Amino acid sequence: MVIPHDFEYVRPNTLEEATRALADCSGSAQVLAGGTDLVAWLRDDAVHPDLVVDIKAIDGLRDLAVADRTMTVGSLVTFTDLMESSVVAEHAPLLSEAAETVASPGIRNRATVVGNICSAVPSCDAGPVLLAYDAHVHLVGPEGFRSVPIEAWFVGLRQTARREDEIVTHLTMELPTHGGCYVKLMRYGGEDLAQAAVAIVVDDAHDYRIAFGAVAPTPVRAHAVEDAIRGRAPTEDVIAEAVAMVRSEISPINDLRATAEYRAHMCEVMLARGLVAADQRRNGDGPEYRTRLI
Amino acid sequence: MTTTHPFEAEAERNGELNAVGTSAVRIDGIDKISGAAQFVDDLDFGPGLLHGAVVESPHAYARIVSIDTSKAEDAPGVVKVVTGQDFPYNFGMYMGDRYIFAQGHVRFVGEQVAGVIARTHRQAVQAAKLVEVEYEVLEALLDPKEAVADGAPLIHPDLGEYSHVPWFFPKAGTNIAHWRKIRKGDTERAFAEADYVLADTYRVPRYAHCAIEPHVTVGKLDHAGRLTVWTASQSPHTQRHLFAEALAPLGFSHKDVRVITPYVGGGFGGKAGVTMEVIGAAMATAVKGHPVKLRFTREQEFYNTYQRQGVVAELKVGVMNDGTITAVEHTLYWDAGAYVEYGANVVNAAGLSATGPYRVPNIRNDSLCVYTNLPPGGPYRGFGYSEFHFGLESHLDRVAAAIGMDPVDFRRKNAIVEGDELSYGAHMNPSGLLPAIDETASAIDWGVEEQSDDPNTVIGKGIALFWKAPAMPPNASSASFLKFNEDGSVNVSVSGMELGQGYLTVMAQIAAEVLGLPVEKVRVETPDTDRNPYEWQTVASHVTWSSGLAVERAAVEAREKIFDVIHQVYGYEDDTLYLADEQVKCTTDPDFAKPLRDFVIDGIQTEDGTWRGGPIVASGKFMPEFTNANSDPETGQGGHPNVHYTVGACGMVIEIDTHTGRIFVRKAALAVDAGKAINPDLVRGQITGGLVQGLATVLYEDMRFDEDGRLLNPNFTDYKIPTAFDIPDEMIPIIIEVPQPDGPFGARGVGEHTMIGAAPAIANAVFDALGVRITSMPITQEKVAQAVSASPT
Amino acid sequence: MQVTITVNGESWDLDVAPADVLLDVLREQIGVKSPKIGCERGDCGSCTVLLDRRTVRSCLVLAVEVEGHEVTTVEGIGADRLSDLQELFITLNSFQCGFCAPGIVLSATELLDENPNPDRHDVQEALSGNLCRCTGYEPIIDAVLAVGQRSGEVTP
Ligand code: FES
Ligand code: FES
Repeated sequence: MVIPHDFEYVRPNTLEEATRALADCSGSAQVLAGGTDLVAWLRDDAVHPDLVVDIKAIDGLRDLAVADRTMTVGSLVTFTDLMESSVVAEHAPLLSEAAETVASPGIRNRATVVGNICSAVPSCDAGPVLLAYDAHVHLVGPEGFRSVPIEAWFVGLRQTARREDEIVTHLTMELPTHGGCYVKLMRYGGEDLAQAAVAIVVDDAHDYRIAFGAVAPTPVRAHAVEDAIRGRAPTEDVIAEAVAMVRSEISPINDLRATAEYRAHMCEVMLARGLVAADQRRNGDGPEYRTRLI
Repeated sequence: MTTTHPFEAEAERNGELNAVGTSAVRIDGIDKISGAAQFVDDLDFGPGLLHGAVVESPHAYARIVSIDTSKAEDAPGVVKVVTGQDFPYNFGMYMGDRYIFAQGHVRFVGEQVAGVIARTHRQAVQAAKLVEVEYEVLEALLDPKEAVADGAPLIHPDLGEYSHVPWFFPKAGTNIAHWRKIRKGDTERAFAEADYVLADTYRVPRYAHCAIEPHVTVGKLDHAGRLTVWTASQSPHTQRHLFAEALAPLGFSHKDVRVITPYVGGGFGGKAGVTMEVIGAAMATAVKGHPVKLRFTREQEFYNTYQRQGVVAELKVGVMNDGTITAVEHTLYWDAGAYVEYGANVVNAAGLSATGPYRVPNIRNDSLCVYTNLPPGGPYRGFGYSEFHFGLESHLDRVAAAIGMDPVDFRRKNAIVEGDELSYGAHMNPSGLLPAIDETASAIDWGVEEQSDDPNTVIGKGIALFWKAPAMPPNASSASFLKFNEDGSVNVSVSGMELGQGYLTVMAQIAAEVLGLPVEKVRVETPDTDRNPYEWQTVASHVTWSSGLAVERAAVEAREKIFDVIHQVYGYEDDTLYLADEQVKCTTDPDFAKPLRDFVIDGIQTEDGTWRGGPIVASGKFMPEFTNANSDPETGQGGHPNVHYTVGACGMVIEIDTHTGRIFVRKAALAVDAGKAINPDLVRGQITGGLVQGLATVLYEDMRFDEDGRLLNPNFTDYKIPTAFDIPDEMIPIIIEVPQPDGPFGARGVGEHTMIGAAPAIANAVFDALGVRITSMPITQEKVAQAVSASPT
Repeated sequence: MQVTITVNGESWDLDVAPADVLLDVLREQIGVKSPKIGCERGDCGSCTVLLDRRTVRSCLVLAVEVEGHEVTTVEGIGADRLSDLQELFITLNSFQCGFCAPGIVLSATELLDENPNPDRHDVQEALSGNLCRCTGYEPIIDAVLAVGQRSGEVTP
């Protein structure tokens, strides 16, 4: 179907122009980066902005680098960029592991990580990984720059801490030496939205960061599980303990894609397999990143 | 017309076959890979082109109280708004129960209520939202068992009035649009005498074809009163006929209606008959002089073309301890949807053949076509057989297990063979069912237990047989024209459709074989009903056979004309002449060789300076003359409704992750009896394509409706069709060739059959792996995981 | 809005509305018809084109976004002579109806540009966003692998 509504389009060259365009817009405005969500929503008539602000001409939003263990991911970095970056592979392998599960190359070449968490659907693949990496989201608006910890970013179903006149500039994450994994439940081998997902990071002190996707209105951190198993290697007992806690950390729903029961069951399975794989990877063995664990 | 069967005649005359039986490259290859191939939506119609959009019902069953089109008419760019009042006609393929636009009632969510024609597509879409329709919502029936219950509201109170083909038996005053019965022998007694009897119910949901090209129609009524319709269709002549009939009150005769069908981006039955095309054709009649394009969105593609019907199958089978099947009772309640003009024949076909490819002395089949307030059901690759084989082949595995027999041995023992009596009294054609079983079993190492090293993984093997006959009117026919060109090349005109199966290539091979030409010298193109001779439809896996015979006969006629000229000029007797290497040759004079290019247009000059011959043109037709559909309505006995059956077997080796329930198909083998594979590569293409399509129906596809009859997954985001990741690790296509005596070079169709076996073979493999029997499709990973956790082991 | 887009090496100055998507502009304003309309929501891949040598879904790109960029379609790839990949698609029966073929050729072309000798998994991954309902994919994967093997033979 054609996009049924007309709108204005601007492509500013600076952040300042962009935020001014957003602030000056009397009606509703949408920020456009990769467009893989936005254009689909425009076609579905799910959003009808008066103005679309394309940020792709703005310099400085494509950083993808590590300095002092802190990784920066600019808001125009695509999932393909993540998959092709040796820096990501070395320092933040969960990002590329998750990226490979996002749709397919033709989408990943356009879709941005930041766009993914701005759309903030419960199944967004970047969500659990960024939670497990304790990322910070950096924004600019009329009042200047600010940053939001990722846990405060997702405020509800498709809702984020971004104000309408703000633009996300980049993400940062401080990365320990770690192993980890992103495991995603899909209905088949091909591209699919997550019906449930788990991201796990474990460091050399067996400090865990665990986050689930698609089993609550937003991606969620499983702090209680992390606390319960902190400092312990994932032995069978430890895994059993962690698995036993899963259902109190999530609130899956029944829908077209899966039942709540299967989602919960699979969170248990994915956590069990993921803890083992994450720890093996930390050790430098185990299944290579990007191999499917389920 | 020749009476000797050319299958032998060719082989005898030419020795070996040169074109038939080779994997000639597809003649549409360059068109399609270079981007040159044109599909309907790629045609240009100039600045006068208008665009249509359809206003659809939000209710599953409702009375239309009023329609107000005034706001839409005033919207920018709108040229015309039409409703059911403009076209108060009904039509249908086998039963006249369908309407161009809703008449007084809507019977499914998505049914077309009005059409808006505007200058741009965007304007049409915007204006369609402005049409105001007031409905009185009625109680909808979404389940076929509820719809046949006493006192159920009637979806078509006028059922008794509808025209229909003579082999349908509608029950006026009920929701049963057709009831196909087969009664043979005495099932009650057979069950009483059987050593073992098993009864159970199997459920199959609705499915979508998902051709990647959506339906598109461009209609144009020109100022001279001629209606031309460009469609993405499997059925140009049938469409022309139905347009002419449905719009007859507007004064059209068949000769004034022209259907042009370029390349089609996949059909699978979904583009057979007429669905949205009649909307486009009708809209065009409202804006004389302008072409009007109607292109369905992917969503509309899902809910307002045909869907594969769901079915509830109640099955009872009786056997003796030695494995002999003695009785089958198969009751099929089809969720046929709101209009059954085509779908009722799916029901009919299934009812005739619901025993599967087995010798069964006592049969009671009831196949009920039940109206529901869901989208119209219709043809989909397999045509009812895909649906009932799931239950039947699952059930037979259980029966075999219960009497302690190997499922393959059990099937071998009961497999139908040439001459066995069919459920309706006629006799089985020659078939390669037994070699198909054996080759499939050996391809998957049947009988060899396999175990995984992974403690969470179990391995299973399953097998299923299948059969299917073309389902068509007893007199469905095909025709062809053939003409030679100056350089000895040939144009063949037919009206079958190139849907991707390779039809054009196969027709070229048949003509090339008879005429001693290389395949590259034969051009066959997509049809235009003004120029190309009749073809019923490209469905039923019948065109290789039926249209192939028409082409073969045209080529034989051309050959006779060629020999005739040679005889006139040189005196050689016809039966000493043959065609090879683009020349006429003579068995009695090895030195004689007359290149075709020298005379097939201009003729041959004789010694006195005059000419003989002239352009070689020919035609051929084929209609089966041994079929009839006049059987007894209560027993189904007496007719000969099916021309022949194509049979085969399918085997699977799977691994199941017992934690996740995910099924990995390691190996999929499928043997099908093509009679003669005119083009083995194309047959293998049907096998890999059909296998993957069939696997999808059993592993994850299905259409999901809410309690209001609204389709929840009308998109590829949630109706998952296979990607490159969703194929077996290994596919083993096996071609069996037991010739069909009346087929072109012995060929019979295989297109649909390759999809049928996958579903039951997976169900049987799951049982083999887990000891759990799942009786409803699809067998999703979630269902398997559930079954594992519920199972005692 | 005025935009300048390069399509298969030719530069086009076009007047488009912000709501016009690249797919429609290619097909209706430029007359390049190989990118097909299959779903119009990013799910099927039949509208795939190369944008600056990387595949995108042209149904999810606004034409105004493409200002100053370069679009390549199948018409541009096989213009002078069919690529090896296209040849192999024909000989290995890698398409049937052919509706998916333009998009699949472009996805495979992108893969082979980046990785001239891919393995089966690479090919599956590269094609995973291009739906084909006809072939069962096996002959498509075979063709792409065969190109890889050929290129391996030429440049060991
Ligand atoms: S039409 Fe663009 S992905 Fe389907
Ligand atoms: S060849 Fe028909 S969709 Fe691929």
